[in-house]
Amino acid sequence: MEIKTIGVAGTLESSDIQIMISKGTNGVEIDLDSDVKKAYGDQINHVITETLNKYGIEDAKVKATDKGALDCVIKARTLAAAQRATETQDKPDLEVL
Amino acid sequence: MERVVDLHLTDNATRKKWQSFLEQLDLHNFSEREVESIDHTIGLIDEDGKLVATGSTSGNVLKYLGVCNKDAVQGQRFNQIVTALQQYLFSEKIFHFFVFTKKKYSQSFQHLNFRELAATDQAAFLESGMPGIDDYLESLPQDPSQKDKRIAAVVMNANPFTLGHRYLVETASKENDIVYVFVVKTDASLFSAHERIRLVKDGLSDLDNVCVVSSQDYQVSKATFPAYFLKSPDDLIKEQTAIDALVFKNWLAPKLNITSRYLGQEPFSKTTERYNESLIKILEPKIKVKVLNRLTEDDKIITATEVRKLIKNNDLAGIEELVPATTFNFIKVHLTELQTRIKKGKQINGN
Amino acid sequence: MTYVKNRLRRTMMFVPGNNPAMIKDAGIYGADSIMLDLEDSVSLTEKDAARLLVYEAIKTVDFGGAEVVVRVNGQDTPFYDEDVKAMVKAGVDVIRLPKTESAAMIQKLVKDVEKWEAEFGIEKGSIGVMAAIESAKGVLHAPEIAESTPLMMGLAVSGEDYTADMHTKRYPDGRELEFARNMVLQAARAADVYAFDTVFSNMKDTEGFYRETNYIHELGYDGKSLVNPRQIAMVNKVFNPSKEEIEEAQNVEAAIAEAKAKGSGVISMNGKMVDKPVVEKATRVLETAKASNLIDEEGNYIGE
Repeated sequence: MEIKTIGVAGTLESSDIQIMISKGTNGVEIDLDSDVKKAYGDQINHVITETLNKYGIEDAKVKATDKGALDCVIKARTLAAAQRATETQDKPDLEVL
Repeated sequence: MERVVDLHLTDNATRKKWQSFLEQLDLHNFSEREVESIDHTIGLIDEDGKLVATGSTSGNVLKYLGVCNKDAVQGQRFNQIVTALQQYLFSEKIFHFFVFTKKKYSQSFQHLNFRELAATDQAAFLESGMPGIDDYLESLPQDPSQKDKRIAAVVMNANPFTLGHRYLVETASKENDIVYVFVVKTDASLFSAHERIRLVKDGLSDLDNVCVVSSQDYQVSKATFPAYFLKSPDDLIKEQTAIDALVFKNWLAPKLNITSRYLGQEPFSKTTERYNESLIKILEPKIKVKVLNRLTEDDKIITATEVRKLIKNNDLAGIEELVPATTFNFIKVHLTELQTRIKKGKQINGN
Repeated sequence: MTYVKNRLRRTMMFVPGNNPAMIKDAGIYGADSIMLDLEDSVSLTEKDAARLLVYEAIKTVDFGGAEVVVRVNGQDTPFYDEDVKAMVKAGVDVIRLPKTESAAMIQKLVKDVEKWEAEFGIEKGSIGVMAAIESAKGVLHAPEIAESTPLMMGLAVSGEDYTADMHTKRYPDGRELEFARNMVLQAARAADVYAFDTVFSNMKDTEGFYRETNYIHELGYDGKSLVNPRQIAMVNKVFNPSKEEIEEAQNVEAAIAEAKAKGSGVISMNGKMVDKPVVEKATRVLETAKASNLIDEEGNYIGE
């Protein structure tokens, strides 16, 4: 899936995560900011990468600002950002869910 | 539930409420220049309909943020208002933005993944979003053996590019292996950012070791630097210069191995003189600052301000003596349009 | 999760569909139903993100045994189709249609739900529907709406939009809602579906909230829509049966057991035949009493 623009979803409020995605060339590169980065950073990065790969995105720059989001929130925000970045939000592909 | 609402400052009652709320929070400059630059303002309203937080955007800069934390979880309203401002910017397709703020609030913004680019005792300058300063620095052209070269920089607005600018760069070009010319991006000038950078490039195309680039938003123009959170107008120049100098010193110079910076001397403008002094104070000794005497024509110092006056006065012959042929040709072809811009209110004073 | 037609539905708590903090905690307050909202509480630019968030939440968040309802966007919006599709795939219990004005609108919803159930290999009839009545037209058509489908779970009065449609607004005494409340309730009862009252949004007016909840309980409503979890305990208190009602219900239950033991199809108590509404009422009373911890496992009264 081709990234056409910068896509962002999620807020900076408690229990949420803001995901911003733009074109990349070197796999999924994640710049993660989280209070729980030490303990859960790998897990968060894993959910983001896996979700993007499932959506058919292999290369992307990702900026993630985590405010204590559950995995399901990370997944939902990553998908929403991916849809917006690929400009597919009007006809989302539910098969990846 | 507290709700985020749009505040229309053109409505007098709203404007009054907004201003008095911010005044309570110790923000005091509500000059027309500052307020008119606002594109969009939002407020957070509590259950009783009271304004408890507000924020605005002006281009890609967040402005006039104010949060009352009474009866609220620390940071919650701040996060909500910054989120809402971001959402507005995203909807405008602006994904990279800045904030100038009091030093003491820098941490709060960093907590929301803003990156501090520079900070003084009073003020801080931060960015967030994509692409960021790392992407900008990566995009600047470099020589394969950059590390071993003598590298200088000139920062200019070039509104428009004159023989004075040319002299400054030419001198640097002779004394160094590579010269970076950073053209400031703001569109508040008579010549647009696009026109200015084009005229700089055209006017220097014969100098092989000169590299002309846009400074993007990383060298701040006075026009975008907000004054409202500072105590006095004097602080404005001081703080803006310091922020500019720090971004140059901490980010641009190390990345490009820049070791000296060339400035034009300014005998008339007190502002520019103070700017130069403050720049020297921050950049030296790490970066050598060379202040060159301004080039003169008939004992008159060549300035872009003078050129703009001549445009207004329709004096093409006068202009030809102050600018390179490339700039002159551009002005000749676009004279009517430039004069229309002046009539429509583009400021030609200042720099 | 699968739709259950009859269950306790005293409280239906509204939760904004784009707010992870509120969704995460929605299950801990003990609401009977949780209504995740994709409509009014979500701004136009966030519809896509909220839909995904609610989808993922239904799949993974523990809502503490509450029934999960999703209010989709209206059929006149470009979001409706994707909302219904995603919620069917997520396996929601009930889909709530806003601004319902006719039986045809509900029948279209049911058809759409069935289409996606078939597409995703979900058993037909796994998802219930409910109608929000928010206009004069909706109120007048409440009977046909209530009877429009066997999958109808219930009708809900939505006071804000309805009063605007009626050229009035909400007043503390609720007289402006009198006709709508009665009409919707009659329609619901006649069709044997549930009836829900509108939200009461002034959190500071506790007295007003109790007054309104008592009133709709007296009318015969099954439950009330809520915007704040603090209102759940208040509604439950109003809906609690009295000690006498519980004892009466226990007697009915004993009579049923006795009839069953005898293999008799006729239930009698105190020499009179017990008919269906009485049996159903007894079931409701005991269900409520158990949910509110008014009786223990053996049926002993432990309320105050």
